[in-house]
Amino acid sequence: MNTIDVSTAEDIELRILATRARRNVLRMLDAGGSGHLGGAYSCIDIVTALYARVLRHDPANPGWAGRDRFLLSAGHKALAQYAVLALFDYFPAEVLDTYGAFGTVLPGHPDMKKLPGVEANTGALGHGTAIAAGMAMAARTSVESWRTFVLLGDGELAEGSNWEAFAMAAHHRLGNLTAIIDVNGLQISGEAERIMGMEPIAEKMRAFGWTVQEIDGHDHRQILDALGRARVETSAPTAVVAHTVKGEGLGRLAGTVGSHYWTPSREELGEAFIELDRRLVSLGRERVA
Amino acid sequence: MTGRDPRKAFGAAVHRVAQENGDVVAISVDSGLSSGLGGMRDEFPDRYIEVGIMEQAATGLAAGLATAGRIPVLCAIAPFVTARNFEMFRNDIGYMRQNVKIVGRNAGLSYSPLGPTHHSLEDCALARLIPGIAVITPADCGEIEDAVAAMIAHEGPVYLRLGAGSVPDLYEAGSFRWGRGRTLSRGEDLTVISSGHITAEVIDAVDALQKRGIGVEHLALSMLEPLDHDLVVEAARRTRRVVTVEEHYVRGGLGGAVAELLAERCPVPLQVMGAPHRFISSGPYRDVIVGCGLDAQSIADRAAEFVQATAPVTTYG
Repeated sequence: MNTIDVSTAEDIELRILATRARRNVLRMLDAGGSGHLGGAYSCIDIVTALYARVLRHDPANPGWAGRDRFLLSAGHKALAQYAVLALFDYFPAEVLDTYGAFGTVLPGHPDMKKLPGVEANTGALGHGTAIAAGMAMAARTSVESWRTFVLLGDGELAEGSNWEAFAMAAHHRLGNLTAIIDVNGLQISGEAERIMGMEPIAEKMRAFGWTVQEIDGHDHRQILDALGRARVETSAPTAVVAHTVKGEGLGRLAGTVGSHYWTPSREELGEAFIELDRRLVSLGRERVA
Repeated sequence: MTGRDPRKAFGAAVHRVAQENGDVVAISVDSGLSSGLGGMRDEFPDRYIEVGIMEQAATGLAAGLATAGRIPVLCAIAPFVTARNFEMFRNDIGYMRQNVKIVGRNAGLSYSPLGPTHHSLEDCALARLIPGIAVITPADCGEIEDAVAAMIAHEGPVYLRLGAGSVPDLYEAGSFRWGRGRTLSRGEDLTVISSGHITAEVIDAVDALQKRGIGVEHLALSMLEPLDHDLVVEAARRTRRVVTVEEHYVRGGLGGAVAELLAERCPVPLQVMGAPHRFISSGPYRDVIVGCGLDAQSIADRAAEFVQATAPVTTYG
């Protein structure tokens, strides 16, 4: 089995990074007043692991032709990508404080022409997988090869265009394409399964010709294991069905619909910062120990 | 009148360009062969991507390929690659500013017997609404061949509109100029502006008007975006009356573009001729065109009435 070995020390490092990324999300909410926190937090452990351990990328040269591509199909989770790109020095951290301002390079949904590291202009749901398939198809006939990773939400699966793209990627055997489906079970109006039942997602993806792995999307060992296997897959695209918790990382928001688009009071935001800072202190102690 | 099939001219032109430019790829939504791209498929099977009947994903796929330097050409029946996939056209190609060429064939009423689902009378309006999309509306097959070469050379998204059937040759080969219109006749009483294959019909209408003693400045616009502003405004200033003719709804296409321009720069009486803004009954092409008042006789009669009804305007311009 192809696995990326994650020692306890590395696991702690990833958890520290992911907590710092969550803190960056709060920093953007502090500047902008509100944002799609819930979905950003459900996928942020995965996004952190991707940039830290999986993607071939160079923050100093974000347009490098041979870079691995990572794009959000669920563009409203942009806060997660912005937070992680800042951690990896794609842009100075102070730029996070422009979130919500007129003309910011961090719009509510990502814009590839504004921010290095962003690969597509998403936000309307059901677009990302087809674009990613195009990137993956181009990689097969390029001098420099790369792998393409696209992240979707579970509520997003109701958009039929996704299923066109899933069929297309399998038919063309895009083994260099990985779709990560962030199944946090909640969308803006409530429980995803009650709004439009899409389960069994893993079985549907298998039936569409994808190689499927199911993981706990907050467990870094499982995340790296799944993405490591996806990296060596050649014959079929890989779907990583990641079971997550919306708003994971903040006690008062985790698992709530209210986290989807959060407009915190000053007090709530202050408490959230304290909660994450305490976690960082405690993870720091584990690292020393 | 003998003529050539726009789809064959288009497909052969793409094939020729692809022989010179290895980045050109054709995307078929079960539509490549009927778009004349069989030669491309046979010579370059690796650059002919069949995805079946899925225009939304095909449009996203094209955008993704373009991010890596490919020049995708996606051609199908016009409504399916402009209206069906509009949000992908707008976001993935327009907003992402990708070098993709969307080609709507059998546009206008050329699928007249198949009914309104297959008519394409709003495709120019849709494409024109997306910022940064160049819109090419060739009149004959030579212009299609020129336009294909020009759109591949142009770095940026393009919508190319093609009809079907048999289209007479009107222009000298190689005479297409990006963003520039043509002056087909000179006159001082009326400016008639046409675009697309209906231009052949309009040439006959203009001949009839000239014979009735009405001096017609006939402009044929090969592109709606960028529009040849100077050519249109100069003619409108002189003739003080403008008629537009297109095989498209009277809203949002050539007539809409000219109305927007003249309202700002040279407000003169304007008559927009095209398909009336309703779902058009199916039937033989010629009958449908006559029903819409877009045959040469009807165009000439309506234009003559318009000239009579409009007193010369002398205070504008």
